[in-house]
Amino acid sequence: MSGVTLSNVIKRYGDVQVIHGIDLEIENGEFCVFVGPSGCGKSTLMRMVAGLEETSGGQIHIGARDVTRLDPSQRGVAMVFQTYALYPHMTVAENMGFGLKMNGTPKPEIATKVAEAARILKLEPLLERKPKALSGGQRQRVAIGRTIVRGPEVFLFDEPLSNLDAELRVDMRVEIAALHKQIGATMIYVTHDQVEAMTLADKIVVLRAGRIEQVGAPLNLYRDPDNRFVAGFIGSPAMNFLQGEIRGGALSLPAFKQPPALDLQLPADGTRVELGIRPEHLRIDPEGHDFRLELIEKLGGISYAYLNASTGERLIVATDGESDLTDDMDVGISFDPARAYLFDTDTGLRLR
Amino acid sequence: MPRHQGARLALSQRQAAIILLLPFLAVYAVFLVYPFFKGVWISLHDWNLMAVAFNPDAKSYVGLRNYERVMWGQNITWAAWASPGFQIIGVLGMLASAFLYRTGRAGKVTALAMGIAALLLFVLPGFHPGEGGRWFDRRFWPTVGNTILFVGLAVPGVTITAMLLAAALDGETRAKAVLRTLFFLSQVLSVTVVTLIWQIMFSPRQGLIANLTELFGGSPIVWLTAEGFAMAAIVIATIWWSLGIAMILFLAGIQDISKDLYEAGALDNATGAKAFWYITLPNLKRTITLVVVLQIILHFQVFGQSHLMTGGGPNDTTQVLVRYIYQTAFRDSELGRASAMAVFLFVIMGGFSILQFVLGREKDE
Repeated sequence: MSGVTLSNVIKRYGDVQVIHGIDLEIENGEFCVFVGPSGCGKSTLMRMVAGLEETSGGQIHIGARDVTRLDPSQRGVAMVFQTYALYPHMTVAENMGFGLKMNGTPKPEIATKVAEAARILKLEPLLERKPKALSGGQRQRVAIGRTIVRGPEVFLFDEPLSNLDAELRVDMRVEIAALHKQIGATMIYVTHDQVEAMTLADKIVVLRAGRIEQVGAPLNLYRDPDNRFVAGFIGSPAMNFLQGEIRGGALSLPAFKQPPALDLQLPADGTRVELGIRPEHLRIDPEGHDFRLELIEKLGGISYAYLNASTGERLIVATDGESDLTDDMDVGISFDPARAYLFDTDTGLRLR
Repeated sequence: MPRHQGARLALSQRQAAIILLLPFLAVYAVFLVYPFFKGVWISLHDWNLMAVAFNPDAKSYVGLRNYERVMWGQNITWAAWASPGFQIIGVLGMLASAFLYRTGRAGKVTALAMGIAALLLFVLPGFHPGEGGRWFDRRFWPTVGNTILFVGLAVPGVTITAMLLAAALDGETRAKAVLRTLFFLSQVLSVTVVTLIWQIMFSPRQGLIANLTELFGGSPIVWLTAEGFAMAAIVIATIWWSLGIAMILFLAGIQDISKDLYEAGALDNATGAKAFWYITLPNLKRTITLVVVLQIILHFQVFGQSHLMTGGGPNDTTQVLVRYIYQTAFRDSELGRASAMAVFLFVIMGGFSILQFVLGREKDE
């Protein structure tokens, strides 16, 4: 098993460049998640690692080998597709053993490896069935089994859970995490769902428009986002942003009548900025009057209050489930100054 | 009692269906159902075309004697190896169907149909005239044999060529689109044009094929009058002619296969020919069945190629069933006997139509 190194990787379709020089180091045994909105190039990037898309520039190394120009089957990778891509005319066992068969592995060895993978994934009773006779979750397990049997250096997952229903998605997420723990191989996982990214990853790569926005451990991205995009993308519900400007050495925020206490290094006068605070770090102050509580969603364990500022800006506040707030109240907010972030409106970069 | 205006016009669903179907049913009845039963009826009579045309009473009911005159003979016996070629194929076919069924590669119905066809191929050619015996019609069974040979060559020829073409021309480049159109174009030509083109192609003097053989130092073959080559010549012309529809069906089948499967295949080291064999071919199973059965039904009715290119010759080697029916009816005026042969042809084609229907409904397990 080995890590993956991308050096200045570029992808062009004709004149259109979709991946703009990506440098990335994925350690051996690491679970790395590519996350970003649709069209950000995360799937393309992974397919370039797999060899299903040609690399227009730069190098891809798996371990010490330069695989940039190798065929997919030569790279030592195996992939789980969003649509599972099981061969419909083969049984589960044949599907799982097909890659080995194509590589000329002796039959008894294939049978042993298929049985081993089936045991890990609890697929033994299904081995003689065709994919048509399986449920979505079972198909996904077979697709994962197919990669295990191959024994690759790197596992690739292309939005593997997006075709499953919500409940099954949670189960499979846990299973994939357990699988990673069990076999300890390098895994790259593509998703647009930041919850999957946060729960599975050792390392998250946030992509936007073919560029890396930030790389880091899930909680590092959550606590210490480099820019407004990552701050808004990681965390659910998303971070709240309030427009402001630096005037006379102080931050002026039109949403507040009384500017809140802050503990931030402020940039030069005239800089337009955004103040970011996560819903879970805001508290409702029933004495205040700056915001109107438009709606409160009570989920039992937690409640989400949707606030409107006089400027038209909206905020979400996470409060406790037993909250006695009601719709259409006027309220204020308070927060720990250490939990607030400041971003430059024009560049989107975090001001520290 | 005054009736509501709308009520008079409202039709039940059943009435509407009947009214909409009526024009079709009328035409179908007049031009297909009635002639069919009339044909069966004629086949039971001694019916000379000319005589009956001038005197409607000049026919007489003879029961099944026309069938006997066409298909049977004097002192006919049966032996296991009377016609080894066909019979060996028949035995192999039965073994193959049993094998395919045992290994689970063919469903019950498919295996049964294959088995029955193979059994017939073993049993029927076994009949032959014994000592001092003879067939009443010496040309009929050889003609049936020629027709089966033609079908046996043309159908695999069309199917395999069309499938390979479809696999090669599947894609979005302009060149492929142009080639697809070109290969389909031959389909729209009429049989007279097709046979004319191929008569020129096969011509030993100015033909393209003769020129090619000469280029490589061979002496030109007189395709259309050489006994070993005439059948091959009309099969080649037929393959070229009927490639289009089969190719389109295969293209549709191929485009129905998910691209993800080929990507999974690429990761599993199945690309190129391996991908075709392990991914494309198994997923085209239904299309192959459809194409084969449609082509069988179509090519049993071969007439123009044989009539126009070789005139059934040389020495009757390209004489086919429909041409023989045509000659018996309109040259020899033996309408009764011709109808008996036509009913025979109908039974064969009806059998394949039922097969197509059954196979089309068979579910993949």
